[in-house]
Amino acid sequence: MKKLQLLITALLFTFILSAQKDNGHFSGSFESFTQYYHKDTKIDAVLPPDKIGSNNFLKLDYNYKQFTAGVQFEAYLPSIQGYPYLLNDAKLVNKYFKYNSNNFSVQVGDFYEQFGSGLVFRAWENRQIGINNALEGANIQVTPLPFLNLKAIYGRQRKVFEYANSNIRGLDAEIDFSKTSKTIPATRVAAGFSYVSRYQEYTGPIVDFPATVNATSTRLDINGGTASLSLEYVHKKSDPHEANNFDNTSGKAFLTNLSLAKNNFGSILTFRTLENMDFRSERESIQSIGLMNFIPAITRQHDYLTTNIYVYNAQTMGEIGGQLDLFYNAQKNTGLGGKYGSKFSLNFSGYRGHGSMDGLFSFGDNEYFHDLNLEWKKKWSEKFSTILLYQHVLYNRMVIEGEPFPDVKTHTIVLNALLKYAKKKAFRFELQHLATKQDRGNWAAALTEFSFAPSWTFYLSDLYNYGITDTHYATIGGSYTRGGTRFGLSYGRQRAGLFCVGGVCRYVPAATGFTATLTSTF
Amino acid sequence: MKKIITSFSLVLISTICLGQNDLPDTKIRSLAGTEVLFSSLGMNSDTAIIISLWATWCIPCIQELEAISEQYEERQKETPFKLIAISVDDSRTTNRVKPFVKGRGWPFEIYLDVNSDLKRALNINDVPHVLIIKSGKIVYQHNGYVAGNEEVLFEKLKINR
Repeated sequence: MKKLQLLITALLFTFILSAQKDNGHFSGSFESFTQYYHKDTKIDAVLPPDKIGSNNFLKLDYNYKQFTAGVQFEAYLPSIQGYPYLLNDAKLVNKYFKYNSNNFSVQVGDFYEQFGSGLVFRAWENRQIGINNALEGANIQVTPLPFLNLKAIYGRQRKVFEYANSNIRGLDAEIDFSKTSKTIPATRVAAGFSYVSRYQEYTGPIVDFPATVNATSTRLDINGGTASLSLEYVHKKSDPHEANNFDNTSGKAFLTNLSLAKNNFGSILTFRTLENMDFRSERESIQSIGLMNFIPAITRQHDYLTTNIYVYNAQTMGEIGGQLDLFYNAQKNTGLGGKYGSKFSLNFSGYRGHGSMDGLFSFGDNEYFHDLNLEWKKKWSEKFSTILLYQHVLYNRMVIEGEPFPDVKTHTIVLNALLKYAKKKAFRFELQHLATKQDRGNWAAALTEFSFAPSWTFYLSDLYNYGITDTHYATIGGSYTRGGTRFGLSYGRQRAGLFCVGGVCRYVPAATGFTATLTSTF
Repeated sequence: MKKIITSFSLVLISTICLGQNDLPDTKIRSLAGTEVLFSSLGMNSDTAIIISLWATWCIPCIQELEAISEQYEERQKETPFKLIAISVDDSRTTNRVKPFVKGRGWPFEIYLDVNSDLKRALNINDVPHVLIIKSGKIVYQHNGYVAGNEEVLFEKLKINR
């Protein structure tokens, strides 16, 4: 079977290569992430029997005029530590064929799609955290009138190397009122409506068990030059399943954004409240398997070593809260900006439980999380610039991790400095400190990086948990980039914890060893 | 092991072939929310266009756009170019893009690729990733950013002016 698949891939290549002689063109990407582990009792790293983990993705697309076809080949030899599934297999998984013209497109095979903000439906891929929710079926999109966009989807959701045992269908309509008149108004007003339905056979004893679950979303976007407002309301019918503890109440969500943006100033206020919004392709699925909608934590996504230790995970069973962002650009040659200019940003997000059992808009007493952070970016000279960040976090371990421990409160400071000492040569360093009296206590981190544009970088970093565990998580690494191809190699310790990309998190176990990455676009 | 070899050889074969030239007809959105075809963004004009795929949560992406923004006017005098920055922020952070860009004072055209359709169509693995497009063809591309990459980008612009 596997040989057959390889043969098909090879044949496809031959087809692609020969077809290239005429008009069509071919493109693709390759990504490989390989780790070699060794024993490390200090951080309780569990050594897999094979000592090697390797995730590989090869994607190929061929385009001829209005037709596109493509495949994705995935090889887990076996899957890396912390990947949500234990895989030791390679398969040609995603295959698609697409026809695309101005007002009409149809895609058969595996496809990705999102309705509105994704709160009701999103099929997407994130290789780092092991999510691929592509649907295998058909996706038809039509624009019958200039102001009307229609989408219809039907399919089965991908479930690792198999498909979920259910049917998903959906419709989405979007009306752009600014296109209904001949003149283009200054304010764009658009409304959307989505319907998503999942059917999974039920053979159990409960009478009137909802084998079919329907969900709808209604949304409105008003977009002026300076101010904009968006509103979305989602309703999901009774859907008792494993991940919501067989709660048979309906699901509800409301999301709104209000933003103001003028030259050199921007702000946005987001408010979201959810109740029983876990939506899966199969009733039996748990963790990150079978997700049909997208409920990210609406918090700032940090990417420093110490600001990523206590990270929020949206509570799909119920939460209420929001986020505020302010951005300001102090221009060059002004009092606040100085000779080279300065940038400021402030971000606050906070979430808590609902006050009463049936109050979507009620605020409860149990605070789940908050994050207040301030950032100041300053350019001191042509060569030297710094970023200074302060962050305060409250992290409710009981709710977020399900562990009966007290809330963690942290204060973190990060300094990121860049010295561009020659036209293409730079030295960067980071100094970080996280202070907390709870959990494992304080963390300090330092990083130095030398870069030689456009190809080489070398770095050395250490994250040090001192006082209680006295553990160093040191890493040394480097990378070489040429055009669309990058190769990286590193050696060191990986901290156990939540690993978050794009607002979705998964737990990564502690590991020590070598990591090699190769990515290429062609 | 065999599979790795196969995968690698496939990559090798494909890299030997000429890379991608034609630009995909993928739909992206303007900051006001209007759908726009990527292939229609003035790609066939004679002025070179820099396309930068970035995200508000990606520090090197911001450093790169910041570095280009600082030299934007000066460099225009040498080689006229247009920069289109396409954010791959998903709906967790899409709404932050507009205020973020305004609050930074960037002079670029900004678009949104909310479910990574364009990123996928261009076969880009990670951000930041820049492309230089001249007369509808990709003439240069680079993945990742370190300080000084903007110099290389401006050099490539001159060659392809």
